[in-house]
This record gives sequence, C-alpha cells and structure tokens, in this order.
Amino acid sequence: MAHPSQLGFQDAASPLMEELLMFHDHALLVVFLISAFVLYIILAMITTNMTDKYILDSQGVEIIWTILPALILILIALPSLRILYLMDEIDSPHLTVKAVGHQWYWSYEYTDYADLAFDSYMIPPQDLTPGQFRLLEADHRMVIPVMTPVRALISAEDVLHSWAVPALGTKMDAVPGRLNQTTFVASRPGVYYGQCSEICGANHSFMPIVVEVAPLEHFEAWSSLMLEDT
Amino acid sequence: MLASRALRLVGRRAISTSVCVRGGHGVAKVEGYSLPAYFDRRENPLPQVRYVTDLSSEQVSLKEKEKGSWATLSNEEKVALYRISFKQSFAEMNQGSAEWKSIAAGIFFFIGLTGLLVVWQRKYVFGDVPHTFHPEWKAKELQRMIDMRINPVEGISSKWDYENKQWKK
Repeated sequence: MAHPSQLGFQDAASPLMEELLMFHDHALLVVFLISAFVLYIILAMITTNMTDKYILDSQGVEIIWTILPALILILIALPSLRILYLMDEIDSPHLTVKAVGHQWYWSYEYTDYADLAFDSYMIPPQDLTPGQFRLLEADHRMVIPVMTPVRALISAEDVLHSWAVPALGTKMDAVPGRLNQTTFVASRPGVYYGQCSEICGANHSFMPIVVEVAPLEHFEAWSSLMLEDT
Repeated sequence: MLASRALRLVGRRAISTSVCVRGGHGVAKVEGYSLPAYFDRRENPLPQVRYVTDLSSEQVSLKEKEKGSWATLSNEEKVALYRISFKQSFAEMNQGSAEWKSIAAGIFFFIGLTGLLVVWQRKYVFGDVPHTFHPEWKAKELQRMIDMRINPVEGISSKWDYENKQWKK
C-alpha cells in the first residue's frame, strides 16, 4: 500500500512492475529534460532584447527541432513496446485464480485441485481493529504462493469492475460475460492492496482487493483451512 | 454601433471596430485590416507606414534637405527626421513599467482571499474526518506497515532499522 502523502509508485512485488518502474524513470527523465529546456527557452524569449525575432527564419533549427523530437519519441517507444509485449507473455502458470467482480465485493475461486471459492468484502471502518487500513482491508484475502506464475482470470457478475494491484503491476477490467486473463509472479512475500478500478456504482470505492503472498507451505495450509470452512 | 452606444463608459473609440476610429497609433500589429498601420514593436522593427503622415511645412522642408547629403544635417534635425518616421525609440519602447507591482499585488490578494475561504470552509462546512485519522490510530497504522514490511525496497520499511527498532539515521 502507499503511505500517506506518498507521491511515487509502491515498491515492485513482481518482475513486471520492476520493469515498469525503470521505464517510468526513463520516460520521466526525458520529460524533465524537455520541460527544463522549454522553460529555459521561455525565459530567454521573455528577457531577450533581440530585434527582428519574427521576421527571420532558420532552416537549420527547424530541421533540428523536427528530427530531435522524432528521435526522442523512438527512444521512449522502444522500451515501452518491449514491456508491452513482455506483459503479453504467458508461459505455463502454476496456479489459476478466478477473480469475479460483484456489486460490491470480489469473489475468488481456486478450482485447479478442489472447489475453493469465497467472497472478499471490505471491512467497514467501524469494524476495523486499531491500526488496520481504512477502505483497504478485506475480510478474506486472495492468498497465492510466492515466486509462482499465477494466471488470474478476471470477470464480473453484473457491471464493469477492474481488478488492480499496483504493487504487482496488474490491472485488468472485469467485464460481465467475458474472461480476461492476466499473469503475474509475486517475487516477494507480503500483503498487497488494490482497489476496484472501474466505476461500478455506489460502493465502487469500497471493494478493495487484498493479495497475500506467502511461501508455498503457508499457501497450502491456508487453502486446506479454507476448504474445511466452506 | 449599438454596442458603441450601450457602452458609453468604455468609450466609442475603445470598442468600435471602424478602422478610421482605431487609427494607426496602436501598439499591436493591426492584422486583418486592409490599410497599413503603424506599430512600435521590438521584434518587428520596420512599421508599415511612417508615424507622421501629415507633415508640417517645417517637416516638409526637412524632408527636402534629407534628399541631399546627410553630413549637413544637425543632430536635432536627424532626431526630428527620426521622430517623423517613428513614434518611440527602441529605448522608449523597451522600457518596463511598474505594472508588475499591481499584478503581483492582485495575485497575492486573491491567494490570500482563497486561503481565508479555505480556512472558513474547513471550520464551518466540512464535518469531522474519520476516526482512523486520529494520531493514535495513525501511529498503530505506521507500526503495522513496518511490521508487514510494506515497501521494504525503497519505501517506508526501508527507512526503519529493525535491529535497533528506530528510524535509520
């Protein structure tokens, strides 16, 4: 989760998010350089005493300020496309989880080996124990094993929702009548929070996603426990 | 014409679109008008017309003298010739004004006014923040974030020294 007044991204919990962080650094640097340069030009133009500014031309500078932006755009596009195609790679996930959006909660189904399904409602602020995070905590977390390629199949039962976990670098729209697939690998254990990312009615802001990444033994113990309960 | 009559306060000259009334003595370049106009702009140093179009008899004779050798012209005559062609010299047109002070004053005033409005709004319009904003809760949240190793790479948990149970120096 983000700490209060945090401006930047959360630390990456998946290799894809690491790539996105690095690309963002790169693109932001380009943006800062361009902005600083433009700011300098604006200040120079305001404070200059040069005459004949609007009645002269220069082919040279016009060539430069056409070619250079094109090069900069290529410099941004190449890493961007690389990550785009990286995101589309699916190579044999070990686990499949279905996340289905409802108004206004998520339900998760682990049906690879047994029929495990449960709902995940937000814990209302009045029911929080001291120290829990308002609007982010859920009563049942989606637990997955660490360092395991996971396939998430996202869908919805009623209206559009969107399943997003920023730390993992995932977001996928939950469309009723459609199965959207996304894969990720959680590279470190921990608890990662996300919120529904597509307007879906009155409680759109109150259906969070909580992913708990644990070592495989813990995941197995948890799923056995959940199966006993349901 | 209707607008001219209605806005007598502003003055006919200011809002009339008739070219004759606007004359040629504005500072802005008069684009879109078919008649050439005079303007004083540093970036575009050659106006379309001379400033003084109706020359007095003195000026007419000066113009005749100008056709001869310029070495015979005195300094005052050169300046007079300049003033026939141009309204302001470069020094005069580049001169700053004290307008920036009024603008800055207006900006600060409105920022201050907005600040007062915001303070009033917070006191009289908005309700209480949720109970999770109280300092004790926030402290417990922070402890929980550290315990859960939230953002341990470069974020908040990376700034905590777990051995000595304090923030890293």
